[in-house]
Amino acid sequence: MELQLGLRSLPTYNFIENFDLNNDGFEPKDQMLGSKPWISCEDGNNMDNKRSSEVAFGKNTRYASRELPLLLWSGQPNDEDDWNGEKKISCSINKNGEEENRVEGWPPINSWRRKVLHHDQDQARNVMNSSRMAAAGNYENGDGSNSKYVKVKMEGVAITRKIDLRLYNSYQTLTKSLTSMFAKCQNLGNDAARYSLTYQDKDGDWLVAGDVPWQSFMESVQRLKIVRNAG
Amino acid sequence: MLRKASSFPEEMLEHVLSFITSDKDRNAVSLVCKSWYEIERWCRKRIFVGNCYAVRPEMVIRRFPELRSVELKGKPHFADFDLVPDGWGGCVYPWIAALATAYPLLEEIKLKRMVVSDESLEVIAKSFKNFKVLVLSSCEGFSTDGLAAVAANCRNLRGLDLRESEVDDPSGQWLSRFPDSFTSLASLNISCLGAEVSFSALERLVGRCPDLKSLRLNHAVPLDKLANLLRGAPQLVELGTGAYSAELQPDVFSNLAGAFSGCKELRSLSGFWNVFPGYLPAVYPVCSGLTSLNLRDANIQGADLIKLVSQCRSLQRLWVLDYIEDIGLEELAACCKDLTELRVFPSDPYGAEPNVSLTERGLVSVSEGCPKLQSVLYFCRQMTNAALVTIAKNSPRMTCFRLCIIEPRAPDYQTLQPLDLGFGAIVENYKDLRRLSLSGLLTDRVFEYIGTYAKKLEMLSVAFAGDSDMGLHHVLSGCAKLCKLEIRDCPFGDNALLANAAKLETMRSLWMSSCSVSFRACKLLGQKMPRLNVEVIDERGPPDLRPENCPVEKLYIYRTIAGPRFDMPGFVWTMNGDSV
Repeated sequence: MELQLGLRSLPTYNFIENFDLNNDGFEPKDQMLGSKPWISCEDGNNMDNKRSSEVAFGKNTRYASRELPLLLWSGQPNDEDDWNGEKKISCSINKNGEEENRVEGWPPINSWRRKVLHHDQDQARNVMNSSRMAAAGNYENGDGSNSKYVKVKMEGVAITRKIDLRLYNSYQTLTKSLTSMFAKCQNLGNDAARYSLTYQDKDGDWLVAGDVPWQSFMESVQRLKIVRNAG
Repeated sequence: MLRKASSFPEEMLEHVLSFITSDKDRNAVSLVCKSWYEIERWCRKRIFVGNCYAVRPEMVIRRFPELRSVELKGKPHFADFDLVPDGWGGCVYPWIAALATAYPLLEEIKLKRMVVSDESLEVIAKSFKNFKVLVLSSCEGFSTDGLAAVAANCRNLRGLDLRESEVDDPSGQWLSRFPDSFTSLASLNISCLGAEVSFSALERLVGRCPDLKSLRLNHAVPLDKLANLLRGAPQLVELGTGAYSAELQPDVFSNLAGAFSGCKELRSLSGFWNVFPGYLPAVYPVCSGLTSLNLRDANIQGADLIKLVSQCRSLQRLWVLDYIEDIGLEELAACCKDLTELRVFPSDPYGAEPNVSLTERGLVSVSEGCPKLQSVLYFCRQMTNAALVTIAKNSPRMTCFRLCIIEPRAPDYQTLQPLDLGFGAIVENYKDLRRLSLSGLLTDRVFEYIGTYAKKLEMLSVAFAGDSDMGLHHVLSGCAKLCKLEIRDCPFGDNALLANAAKLETMRSLWMSSCSVSFRACKLLGQKMPRLNVEVIDERGPPDLRPENCPVEKLYIYRTIAGPRFDMPGFVWTMNGDSV
């Protein structure tokens, strides 16, 4: 599909110092921008066009004698393009200093949600986790954080996932969830047996999951990896 | 009042007008002739003020003496993304004070992006005997003390909706301030509240309000209590759950599933913070009747998510995180043929690498499978012109199209070309497009397409796009119905703005930040256009301490009949009149 349009040029605004005070009208030297270069709104219901054009033409005598017409047409192509094709990259560090090179206000996510919900989710986990841990008789003093997100990489799958380990209370629930999470992309079906869950602990070693009690596992796990069994 | 022999009796015209409710129609009626203007203004009941600084409350009161419902908006839209510094303005108190004196019979107040103090809420609570509906959307500045005043005093309250507002929460007890005799509540949205509310007060309130149709809880309401609430309100049409997580216990589950089954009228679900997937099947009984599902805050992934969504065959609106992935959107396209609105939000917007497999293909699938699609908000990390062209051809009913490619200036990832052609197809094919947000690598060409084809466009959001002033000029000179234009980080400067100065009076507002508009041009615009407020926002200090051709940080221009505002903070300068 090809859209045939030509880019037209825009006359440059001249902030000239001296001008003819008697020249309270203006003559469009260039018709390229349409028959009504001044009043660009085509909405017939707008009754303000007439008045605004009067103001723009300088008929409003409230202002000081030295009036600049709002636009002086030089009739020349826009050769004073400030940009010359340069692209300005606005990069600023987030107010919270969260991340370097993060552009302020981008992507356009509602900031309320970022602030409040993140805090609330931590609180909610607090509420939920403490009641759950207490009920299970395993009240953990906690290390201060209320969620434990770890990356999960599966061999052969491009995307690395992230899960919150605090949502699980046993190896069984964890592996069940991981199976369903990865099953779709690998068409695992019942082939879960061909894979093993390994994890990297605090010392950086990779171990097979399941050998230590769940609580110890929770305390030391840094990330997870699902590997194919050899043979 | 002068009455012509051939005119309708006033009473008859008034009666006819009572059927005309849309603002646009009412405005048109008032322009017919003086007597129609008079009759209309005396019987207008609702007013919508899109920019609270466009008019003074006294002017509204003078013209419309019999209002029952007032809706106001304050801060510019980009305030949602932290681009408007705190303290900018939008305080509602002067309006509330004026309304309290003028309209003792006022029933509804709806506010968006405004600063609402507890004092304002107290005035509302005590001034309007028949007050019915309070909506505070993305507002801030108040605490539960203000809410307590509303609860205690508004005997006929039907709706209290705090959507997305920031509320200070010193006490969770405000719900108990609704008297026991209070039974009129039809709609309650407290989903934004951070702290716990008194559950017993909530339960009693829900139980004694037979008209309660919409209830949106906050995350602090635990899952095991939800069943009791639902049994107390089986007539609910809209429900926002609290946290959807608990130890999986069979009796809790069956209780919950039973409670959901009892809600035969349920059409809308939201909430779902902290989902424990084992409890999802409890909502399956209501899925087939759902028309709206909001999983925007739900950490459900993979098969659990797809299974839930695919059971909602009557779905018209879906808000979901990108955990749904292309594969889930394919399923959606196959199952939900009535879909009109889709919003896909990023689960990890600041991550450098994609964490999910959601691409342009997901949106293409939905456009192919859902012919009624009207409104799209889609965050993704890659796009092609070809995909956009396909999407453009598939969805003729589109009125709102917002695409956010997370990386600024990202090109078509296959051809490495700008996405001009793709968006060009969008505006050419979507004849009824009213709202558009652009992203990706874009040159002036895309704006030429927009100016040429987007004749019904009312709101345009632009970021990191364009090469020169021609881009802005195309939009301002071409888009006849343009009402709101918001631009950030684009190389647009003085020329286009000044050449189209008159256009700005036909729009509600223009926002430009991190562009190239000079202080000199702002001053000129402010001086020449008395019915525009030209406000420079610059946290670096007074703009006249820098060279005149220095670009301003942020610029907000809006039409107004109220003159420059009085409540500007130190970092906002008006360019109007003698103060410059």
